[in-house]
Amino acid sequence: MATVECRNLCKSYGSHEVIRNFNLSISDHEFIVFLGPSGCGKSTILRMVAGLEEITGGDLFIGGARVNDRDPGDRGIAMVFQNYALYPHMSVRENITFALERAGTSRDEIRRRLDPVVETLGLDIYLGRKPTELSGGQQQRVAIARAMIKTPEVFLFDEPLSNLDAKLRGHLRVEIARLHRALNTTSVYVTHDQLEAMTLADRIVLMNQGRIEQMGTPEEIYSRPATVFTAGFIGTPSMNFFSLDAGEGRLRNADIDLAAPFPLRAGKVTLGIRPGAIRLVPEGTPDAIAATVERDEFHGDMRLISLNAGAESFMVSVPAATRLSEGERVLAHLDPASLHVFDAESGQRLGD
Amino acid sequence: MKLSTLLLRIVLACAALMVLLPLLWTLLNAFKTNADLLVNTPKLIFTPVWDNMQYVLGRRSVARALTNSLVICSSAVAMGALLGVPAAYVIARVKNRLTREAQFFALSLRFLPPVAVAIPMMVIWLGLGFYDTRFALIVTYMTITISITVWLSIPAFERVPIAVEEAARVDRLGPYATFFRVALPIARPQILAAIAFSFILVWNEFLLAMMLSTSKARTLPVVASEMSQLGMNVPWGVLNAAVVLLSLPPLILLAVAGAGMNSVFSRKSTQD
Repeated sequence: MATVECRNLCKSYGSHEVIRNFNLSISDHEFIVFLGPSGCGKSTILRMVAGLEEITGGDLFIGGARVNDRDPGDRGIAMVFQNYALYPHMSVRENITFALERAGTSRDEIRRRLDPVVETLGLDIYLGRKPTELSGGQQQRVAIARAMIKTPEVFLFDEPLSNLDAKLRGHLRVEIARLHRALNTTSVYVTHDQLEAMTLADRIVLMNQGRIEQMGTPEEIYSRPATVFTAGFIGTPSMNFFSLDAGEGRLRNADIDLAAPFPLRAGKVTLGIRPGAIRLVPEGTPDAIAATVERDEFHGDMRLISLNAGAESFMVSVPAATRLSEGERVLAHLDPASLHVFDAESGQRLGD
Repeated sequence: MKLSTLLLRIVLACAALMVLLPLLWTLLNAFKTNADLLVNTPKLIFTPVWDNMQYVLGRRSVARALTNSLVICSSAVAMGALLGVPAAYVIARVKNRLTREAQFFALSLRFLPPVAVAIPMMVIWLGLGFYDTRFALIVTYMTITISITVWLSIPAFERVPIAVEEAARVDRLGPYATFFRVALPIARPQILAAIAFSFILVWNEFLLAMMLSTSKARTLPVVASEMSQLGMNVPWGVLNAAVVLLSLPPLILLAVAGAGMNSVFSRKSTQD
């Protein structure tokens, strides 16, 4: 068990800088998820922590010791890769015990440690098989077992579920959460899947273009996005945005006119609201937006309605039983408590 | 079956027969007496005789040539593998200008016409006093075995997923352990095929052997070709027997390493 601390980590390839002054401190037992679109640098940072990618600048501490110049094998880490990276020429058993054998662990000790790991991941019947004879989900279980048996200080996961189909992904996600509760090892998990991030993380580090966009618990990030990027990235269906002018206690443009949720300086703002926070209301409700129904998507537990109000289009989620026909005129009301206001220029959150 | 499939099968069968019939013919003729051989209608049914084989195997020059071929080819192939396989690994894993040039150089060695290699080599070995020795042929053949082994092993190593080697690094393996315990075993079938192929190339090599040896270091292909010059009467039976003998090692290798060899020359990945 250990803490991980990144101090001003930098990474450049030649003159191309991909990570700049990355600072993060991960406490013992914490489950941290790096979330972000592809190319945002999240995997690069994970690989720098693992020692697979050289650190161009800054310091990396694991368990209080500076490990910049240590080999991956000497950092007390174990890693689970996206494409499993099992040794194809070895049996499942050999795959799991290989690292221990290399480290000179005694046979008895290896056997003692193998049993609980194999049992936890349900791999007993596969021990004699080759990885190629296993399904993707089973292969990734073997990879997790291989990481687990080393009892590392820090677990590193590099998009471990990306290559699996949706059902298996959900299944293994729950399993990883369960393992973390049982082992309580400090973990760093990279993903581009917000569902994985939301459900697994103690803290999410949302990254964009090599920087931390926002850091916080899943609830914080969902309910108080600090930037337009975060607001747009987190949440399914994704947030609606309107470009509005603030002034005289109102937020307005050609098609929309709303009361500002809090006093705002005059200027351009971006208003964000999740589809679930918009309600269809009867005639005569103040501050409602007149709109026409453009499309109706049935999602099973709810319907996602695309609405047009002049030049603006936005999504509303309504109960599945609601019947609306295309072209129908409705009134939409934006819940004032669920409005997110951002500075149009900087993209930063305004107000609370 | 669709008509097009049927037609394609027929074309395929014809092509196969074109390759196989002469080989079968050679095999049969190796066991015929001259009386059976020199008839207008080729005989499929005949009493096989061991005379031709016995004649070939009984000649001292053949026995010596066989030893020469075996010693020279296996040494050249062993040295080629020893130097070529690690070189291929480095070229596959370290991508920079130097390794790119090295990769192309390995191939470009094979662009030269053999004669262009043979003449300077002859002068060099004469000057050094190694002309007509096994040593001279081994070193000369190494240019072939190393370049072929390097060239064919590079894709084999490139197919080893980089993540597997990274997993090995996380499992505390150094560069050498990663090579011997992970990369080499994974690429093994294709590496073996590459080595087998280099063996076949030098085993069949004729021109260099002929120009760099006179008697002591003559290899089997050269000696076999000499049999056609035995006299006015071409000894077809003996010649065929020599050819059969000569073809055996490559055929055995092909049978052993055939599957791997196929994947060496195709781009298809054995695993994703």
